Amino acid sequence: MASRPLSTPAGAGRRFSPGVMLPPLALLALWQAACLTGLFPAQVLVPPSEVARSLAAMTASGELQAHIGDSLWRLLIGFAIGAVAGLAFGSLIALSRLAETALSPLFLTLWQVPVIAFVPMMVLFLGIDEPFKIAVVAIAAFFPVALATFDGIRGVPRAWFEVARVYRTRLPDLVRRILLPATVPAVLTGLRVALTRAWVVLIAAELLAADSGIGQMMEMGRQLFRIDVVLAGVVVSGLIGFLLDRGARAIERRATRWRTA
Amino acid sequence: MTGLLSLSRAPVRFAIGLAAPVLLLLWWQWQATAHISTFAPPGAVGQAAAALIRDGTLLNDMLATLGRAFGGLFIGAPLGVATGVAMGIWRPLDRLLGPLLHGLRQVPMIGWLPLIGLWFGVGEGTELIVVSMSAFFPAMLNSHAGVAQVERRYEEVGRIYGFGTAQRIRFILLPAAMPLVLTGLTQSLAFAWIATIGTEILTGAGSGLGVTMQLAQTQQRLDIMLVTIAATALLGFVINHLFLRLRRRLLRWQPSSL
Repeated sequence: MASRPLSTPAGAGRRFSPGVMLPPLALLALWQAACLTGLFPAQVLVPPSEVARSLAAMTASGELQAHIGDSLWRLLIGFAIGAVAGLAFGSLIALSRLAETALSPLFLTLWQVPVIAFVPMMVLFLGIDEPFKIAVVAIAAFFPVALATFDGIRGVPRAWFEVARVYRTRLPDLVRRILLPATVPAVLTGLRVALTRAWVVLIAAELLAADSGIGQMMEMGRQLFRIDVVLAGVVVSGLIGFLLDRGARAIERRATRWRTA
Repeated sequence: MTGLLSLSRAPVRFAIGLAAPVLLLLWWQWQATAHISTFAPPGAVGQAAAALIRDGTLLNDMLATLGRAFGGLFIGAPLGVATGVAMGIWRPLDRLLGPLLHGLRQVPMIGWLPLIGLWFGVGEGTELIVVSMSAFFPAMLNSHAGVAQVERRYEEVGRIYGFGTAQRIRFILLPAAMPLVLTGLTQSLAFAWIATIGTEILTGAGSGLGVTMQLAQTQQRLDIMLVTIAATALLGFVINHLFLRLRRRLLRWQPSSL
């Protein structure tokens, strides 16, 4: 019972209806009104219209696109490296008993450490330039992917391999027709988790040390007391995180549709 | 097949499992002798650990980090459970708060740090707020799901007995939601722990393992950093383990499918 998967949050499963938009719109209106009536001084909270104006201004100057582009580029490169390494490592320790015995104790020990705790050490070794941010993203992506790949491959029933042996299936066919379809769902879930974690860790790394990116934009906004810029960063980072998660979920659903069909 | 067979013996497995860490240590020692500036040799880490333990810094940091993590957990998690249960029981509240909370949830929790730092100053208060927020959301989501998917027949039994709202919550909804609530609390603990380390590194305020880590980075002290990382890993592991045991105890009435 406890292992039952978490149900979709309120509203996610229902068809979209215009009424759903009412509370957020009301909230925005309330926020706007609270600022206009002077309940919150402008140093504390700026109205949503101000945030929108700031977003528009940064878009017009191309500044916002540059920050988003830099962040997403780091995410893409780091995630690709981490995911490929995770896939390879997960497959290795799942397929070879020797590799599992040799490497899994170290792997499981390192896994106990929150990735964010590696951030200062990465700065020490790599400095605060691009390699550092990409490495942090790669590490954040590596662990969930490696673990999901391992679980996915180990979850393939032994009987399937035996059937393959009876049919004298050749290795490429074994991989393509049995191993891949059986492990893809688990691996995709691992990739999605890795993607959202990588995004969080990237924001943290950019807050700490960066010359561009959404995290750096927020940190600069804080130092310059530009609440509108900080809020714009909050909105953008939330939106990107949301879209990454939704996109990954959509891919996951498409790829595993055959299971229920 | 004989080579593989011997792997089933525990001492052999143990020896092979040690090979990778030992190789890592040797490589590290070699690196340390090659360029001394950043790589502190393994021996130095042992000395640093002994020194940090002797002067009480490590204990102090561990207690500060634990206090912050559990402080945030004790603020955020009960609020999260209460909000989640209330939203699960009372639909209008779900409609009202749901979109706001799910919107706020999309932002990486660390991403709130600049805004909250702007409001409350970069210090202990800001750290505690971000940790509390990190603990709040998993507790809220899981409690909500737990209450929302209570089996109908339990509710029907309650109706036959003529339960009032309070009784319904006390005797049906809470016990039925308990496994998911506890799952949420486990996640809250993990999130609070990560957020604590993260905010400590980023704000550097007060004392704590993350603060010392960040300080070690600016002072180029790999030995101190590794000691604090190891302490972080160890503490995280122990807390998680204790919590899982507690969870099993609390859920011992369940059929042992767990």
